[in-house]
Amino acid sequence: MTNIGVYICHCGTNIAGVVDVEALAKRVAKLKDVSLARDYKYMCSNPGQDLIRDDIKHRNLDRVVVAACSPRMHENTYKKVLASAGLNPFLLEIANIREQASWVHLDKEKTTNKAFDLINMAVSKVRMDEPLTSMSANVIQRVLVIGAGIAGIQTSLDIANIGYDVVLVEKEQSIGGRMSQLGKTFPTLDCSACILTPKMVEVSSNPRIKLFTYSEVEEISGFIGNFKAKIRKKSRGLDESLCTGCGLCQEKCPTRVPSEYDEKMGKRKAIYTLFPQAVPNIPVIDRASCLYITKGKCGVCKKVCPVGAIDYERGDEFIEEEVGAVVVASGFDPFDPTSKEEYGFGIYKNVITGLQLERLLHAAGPTQGEVVRPSDGAVPKRIAFVQCVGSRDEHANKYCSRVCCMYAIKNALLIKEHHPESEIFIYYIDIRAFGKGYEEFYKRAQEKGIKFMRGRVAEIFEEPASRNPVIRADDTLLGMVTENEVDMVVLSVGMIPRSDSSRIQKMLGLAASPDGFFMEAHAKLRPVDTLVDGVFLAGTAQGPKDIPDTVAQAKGAASGALGVVSHKALLLSPLISEVDERLCRGCGDCKDVCEYGAIELVTLDTRKVAKINPAICKGCGSCVVACCNGSIKLRNFTDSITFAMLEAALGGAL
Amino acid sequence: MKEYAIFLGCIIPNRYPGIETTSTSILKDFDIELLPINGASCCPAPGVFSSFHLESWLAIAARNIAIGEETGRDIVTMCNGCYGSLAEANHLLNGNKELKDKINDILSKVGCEFKGNSKIKHMIEVFSEDIGVKKIQEYMKNPLDGIKVCTHYGCHFLKPSEIKKHGSSERPKFLDELVRATGAESIDYKDKTMCCGFGGGVRARDIDVTLDFTREKLKNIISAGGDCIVDQCASCHLEFDRGQAEIKKIYGEEFRLPVLYFTQLIGLGIGMGQKELGLTFQNIPAESLLDKINGRKK
Repeated sequence: MTNIGVYICHCGTNIAGVVDVEALAKRVAKLKDVSLARDYKYMCSNPGQDLIRDDIKHRNLDRVVVAACSPRMHENTYKKVLASAGLNPFLLEIANIREQASWVHLDKEKTTNKAFDLINMAVSKVRMDEPLTSMSANVIQRVLVIGAGIAGIQTSLDIANIGYDVVLVEKEQSIGGRMSQLGKTFPTLDCSACILTPKMVEVSSNPRIKLFTYSEVEEISGFIGNFKAKIRKKSRGLDESLCTGCGLCQEKCPTRVPSEYDEKMGKRKAIYTLFPQAVPNIPVIDRASCLYITKGKCGVCKKVCPVGAIDYERGDEFIEEEVGAVVVASGFDPFDPTSKEEYGFGIYKNVITGLQLERLLHAAGPTQGEVVRPSDGAVPKRIAFVQCVGSRDEHANKYCSRVCCMYAIKNALLIKEHHPESEIFIYYIDIRAFGKGYEEFYKRAQEKGIKFMRGRVAEIFEEPASRNPVIRADDTLLGMVTENEVDMVVLSVGMIPRSDSSRIQKMLGLAASPDGFFMEAHAKLRPVDTLVDGVFLAGTAQGPKDIPDTVAQAKGAASGALGVVSHKALLLSPLISEVDERLCRGCGDCKDVCEYGAIELVTLDTRKVAKINPAICKGCGSCVVACCNGSIKLRNFTDSITFAMLEAALGGAL
Repeated sequence: MKEYAIFLGCIIPNRYPGIETTSTSILKDFDIELLPINGASCCPAPGVFSSFHLESWLAIAARNIAIGEETGRDIVTMCNGCYGSLAEANHLLNGNKELKDKINDILSKVGCEFKGNSKIKHMIEVFSEDIGVKKIQEYMKNPLDGIKVCTHYGCHFLKPSEIKKHGSSERPKFLDELVRATGAESIDYKDKTMCCGFGGGVRARDIDVTLDFTREKLKNIISAGGDCIVDQCASCHLEFDRGQAEIKKIYGEEFRLPVLYFTQLIGLGIGMGQKELGLTFQNIPAESLLDKINGRKK
């Protein structure tokens, strides 16, 4: 004997303004197996919930339909009500009479009829629903963090400090990321290294953080709570356990090649560390430029190493780590302005990028903080910054990179303070000084005499004798085309996704937004989650952002990951597909259509059958459709339930 | 033997016949034949016409393509303007069935149909792609070593770059490579990709603006030390040649910078004379250049 209670919500006037809720309740009460139907102003309020709870207890309801807003809003609220009254929470159905009726129609009578149909369908379904029990899966209580820039560092420290283990994997030979390349930071002008290096040291000394540098995650398998990662630890060409970081090898190495870390503004050795405070302070041999490896000559580093650590033939190592959650903090690359041919980057020596200028301004950079122009080493007196290079551009990237206005203003100010006599121009479309203290910082730059020129730069050409770049721009405030000969031009290049981001995307099954950065689960309400359960995003891997926003998001990602690994076990939704092994013929069609990789073929006795991993299955139903002989069913969405709902909707027309 | 239908346009047959005769005779040496398009009209000029009435412009361009298609060959033009009109019309009509039907409706009145089977090519592509720089280099009998050339690409062959797709539109290289194949040096100069001044109907509307552009280009070329200008477009050719005469007349300023179509430069490199190259029809004498070439030998 079935005893269904139906609860119709007014949602203030959201529903009751269009739907005749009282008449509806009377009609619904006459449906088969419905023992009572009530309407109430706000079903989700505490009194509304009590109403349902009391009826379950005192009127012996055994199934419930709530006709209200979308199940995305309050399904969980009502499930808890059922559970607290001792009823299985899967014996609940929601009829969405707000988003699917009152909000989208005006005619009162027709809308009320539609609401009735929706409720009738829900009643037909709930009548046949089976009570289900959530299963649980064990959680490996540690987190993998990919990338050890400021985002990955912050996430790792937060997780470790709360008391959970972290596996931190960094591709480069030292942690620190892009932030370590920067000289000073806006708007406070504190030196980047001064605020970053204490955190780097903290990472290296925290016993809860297992650090892999010069390493890459090559494969990830598994699911939320139970991931397995294969890590390649690339060979540094030496025995790390012996190396003391004395630096003698670097000093004596005779090879000098352009330094990638210095954005080619300086040179490095073939055996080198990135910067003095590198963590770990262990060098790497660059196999492409090492004389011993390429030509079999030299071997100086091996001769001078006091501990005999050099081992040219040392191979890569592979390590497997098990984790419960993953945070992707793989960062960004600067936009390469070579493709903006009108600016002549790579052709005119005195046209450099913003990140190259950062290296020049860095106290530990190739010029110890002195800004000189590449063609002749002279100190430039007239400098122009060109904004939005590769950003806000139909021919490159449409998005705003969000940091270029501020870093250009910051570097302009630094130069001006060093050399007050210098003349500095910033060519901009709009100045976006949106953060805390940013507008004030912009104002300070204006007061210091930095000239802001409004208009996109059309092109740059070079005066052959002086090698001075000349900027040609449409000054939209003057309404005329201007030409301006300067000593040096700095292109404020924007951010683009890391060169290997598509590999990471495929490896983890992440989605990317049209700009190529990794996509969050919800632009506003789930900014650090991804659509893959247990995988979170931090920092510029998700989109351009500055250091404060990166750190804030990193802390958010830490909290997201902790939300997974702080539990010993996770409850899994029982609303998933189920294989009838007696019928399954092991064709694998279901496996092919599963978007989530939840299905594998296993051997049962002598034949193959499909097996669904309940931790991965999302209950989408694709496999049910693909199955040729109906051996898969989706719990509480069976064919007979669907037909019953159709019959209700079509008024017995079937 | 390879064959193309040749779309001559207006300026070349009427004012600079040397461009046609030189190109035709050199192509024969490479076994490439040009077939006439009988009854061709003005292309019509790309910027002005189309901005006044797109469909009229399209209908005339489509008719030219249609009668060119009848030869069963791809169509070659020697002028960037003609190339711009025909290539853009071809692109628009092939990408829009509704528009194509509408234009063919108009063309049916003169018994024509645009099919869209022929590619529209520019003479520069025939030289740099069909023949290739290496063969031109071998072809030279009298390599032009020591001659400093300033190239001018013109606008309508390269832009709009979404349609034209000839590689870099900001720093193109193919014409410079051809120039180098003749043994001459291709030198850089300020505002190399700037318009000659002809474009967009400016010449007909406001000669002062036009000549202001032309003068600036000429000044930049001369201050870079160029012995001549080499172009790939009949309109640009006219602008630099006739423009110099007009600048002299209006402003009393004289440049005397020889103007060559790129096939005329190649012609010089195989020893063709002024008359054969049609240089005697031009406003600006090429003596200074020829003297340098000849003087160089001694």
